[in-house]
Amino acid sequence: MAATSRAGLVNPRLGTYFGIFASALAALVLMALMLEQLGVSDAAVRLVMLCGPIGLYAAIGLLAPTREAQDYFACGRRVPAVFNGLVLAIGALGGAGFLALTGAYFVVGYDALCISLGISAGLVFMGVLLAPFLRKSGDYTVPSYLSRRFESRTLRVVAAAVLTVPLLLLLAAEARFAAYASARLTRQPEEAMALVVVVCATAMVLAGGMRSHTWSGSAKAMAALIALAVPATIVALMLTNLPLPQITHGNTLRVLTKIERGLPILTAPPLVFDFPGQGLEPLAKRFIHAFGGIGSVAFVLTLLTALAGIAGSPSLLMRPGSTPGVHEARKSFGWAVLIAGVVLLTLPAVAIYLRVLLLEQVVGQPIDRLPAWFLTLRDLGVASVDPTGPTVRLVNISFDRDAVLFALSYAAGFPQVLAYLALAGGLAAALLALASALLASAAIVSEDVVHGLRAEPASETARVLAARGALGGIALVAVWLAIAAPADPLRLFLWSLAYSGSAVFPVLLLSIWWKRTTAWGAIAGLIAGLVATTAAILLSEAGVWTLPSVLAGAIGLPIGMAATIATSMLTPQPSQHIVAMLQEIRVPGGETLYDRELRLQRLKTRPVA
Amino acid sequence: MVMIEWSEHKAYWRNTKTQMLTSLVPFLLVLVVLPLYAEVLNSMRVLVTIAVFVNRQDAIDHSHGAHEDI
Repeated sequence: MAATSRAGLVNPRLGTYFGIFASALAALVLMALMLEQLGVSDAAVRLVMLCGPIGLYAAIGLLAPTREAQDYFACGRRVPAVFNGLVLAIGALGGAGFLALTGAYFVVGYDALCISLGISAGLVFMGVLLAPFLRKSGDYTVPSYLSRRFESRTLRVVAAAVLTVPLLLLLAAEARFAAYASARLTRQPEEAMALVVVVCATAMVLAGGMRSHTWSGSAKAMAALIALAVPATIVALMLTNLPLPQITHGNTLRVLTKIERGLPILTAPPLVFDFPGQGLEPLAKRFIHAFGGIGSVAFVLTLLTALAGIAGSPSLLMRPGSTPGVHEARKSFGWAVLIAGVVLLTLPAVAIYLRVLLLEQVVGQPIDRLPAWFLTLRDLGVASVDPTGPTVRLVNISFDRDAVLFALSYAAGFPQVLAYLALAGGLAAALLALASALLASAAIVSEDVVHGLRAEPASETARVLAARGALGGIALVAVWLAIAAPADPLRLFLWSLAYSGSAVFPVLLLSIWWKRTTAWGAIAGLIAGLVATTAAILLSEAGVWTLPSVLAGAIGLPIGMAATIATSMLTPQPSQHIVAMLQEIRVPGGETLYDRELRLQRLKTRPVA
Repeated sequence: MVMIEWSEHKAYWRNTKTQMLTSLVPFLLVLVVLPLYAEVLNSMRVLVTIAVFVNRQDAIDHSHGAHEDI
């Protein structure tokens, strides 16, 4: 079968369905606004804003069940580029991007740019270097692809074990961000909400796997974008008369720069990585001044680590397989970069607007005459001010990093529903990234561990059942990790990027672009990247060396790359058959390799009439 | 079914590699160097790179007969 016509695969009513979803979400927010105005209790309004969107995502996920393996692992290969790009972009950002990165901009200003640039550049590198070739290969998981590319079952098992590390870290991070947002909405402990959000994320994808995840993920991504855009656009209109925060926050930045002239100029040593942590962080740095919290070398290394980490992210690398073809896979990365770019231009706008409002309305005020919105945020545990001195100074204010996104609505005097909408948006992004990591982990366990070592292919039913069972097991691990992992979730997210950047990215890159790469080289690269990154993190956390642990990828990536190249050179050249297959993977035309293999197997096992 | 001729493989891959390098190397240089010297990075550069890449790669696919039948 040739690459199938796109028009024959893509559902033409998708636009209508998601139009209905967007209308339902808008109606829900309007209803919550009316309930608030009618004096309905705050707890009830918060519950509507939590359960309403989750109910919609769950309904979409549950209404897309499947028993077929290609639907379960690759959404039937019929996801249009724009929807794939939407899920890719918001899945790459997740709760870390929406909640922590906004707060990081607010606290350290310019220095947070290193993560934004790394994420968007990672999508570019994945789209150019890896995704089209993984789509042509058509395998459902990264270990399956490596196993086919090098014809090695040992490599499949090693890759499955190595990839589990960044996936588990990502699971823990995103479960914590989702728990944070939902705990703010319910005012319940984060530990209890971690259980709730992981159960919800699992339930949304259990019935249909990638199929459920793609369509409920598209809905989550749209909700996250709406929740980010609405408060930011209204504040942009109020402050600049133009409803385009991505473009107009530059003018506000100039105002901010003038107001902040009294603050001291800090310059960090080149390798220092002083990023805002979880909880209340003091606002001691000028927004626009570069390298005050993160040194110049650490800035570049963080950017490169995030770039390689996103490009080699196992949860994102499953997505190209769900598009109808190589061309659509490439186009979907164009959409992903566009959407991520818009979001990453909006996040600093939110931070700048909140900082301006804080400087105009709180700084310089007598300590006993603070505005009502700041007192509300203080009562919520989001902000605090050091009461020493007659008036408030910026350096005396501390702010919860992850609360900045929803705090803007309080500072701008909006109805509380818009603050809850921002929280629901952060929750949607975290749930999307959480579901991506859950599905990728479950697919690796079921396809590469449970069925990967069998000589004969398992039946479709057995594969889907195994994936569902693995999803349940991974969900339990995710809950335990989210409750037990004591580290800051942003740090867990950056560690996950360090692992995928140093262990996965070099091997995938060389597997496509250097035909001399061998199976033993790939195994050595995976293990060396993993071990080097783990050692760098442990040595840094133990205080043995000064390199920050989130930059462990800067050590692991060159070691992983060198180990792959050196071992490949020391082992015999790949066979002609393997080189021929690589040449086929490199060309977009022709049938998807995995689908062809499956078709031939079916023909072989078909009973003779 | 569109299949590239085997004799075309080498030329196709050479063009693809050139296109990859000319797309990513300047982008990476700008990405690393500009933040060190400029206060604000124009993020639109990212969009320009991916759009140019998709269009050029499609042109390379077509010129070598390696494109998909879409």
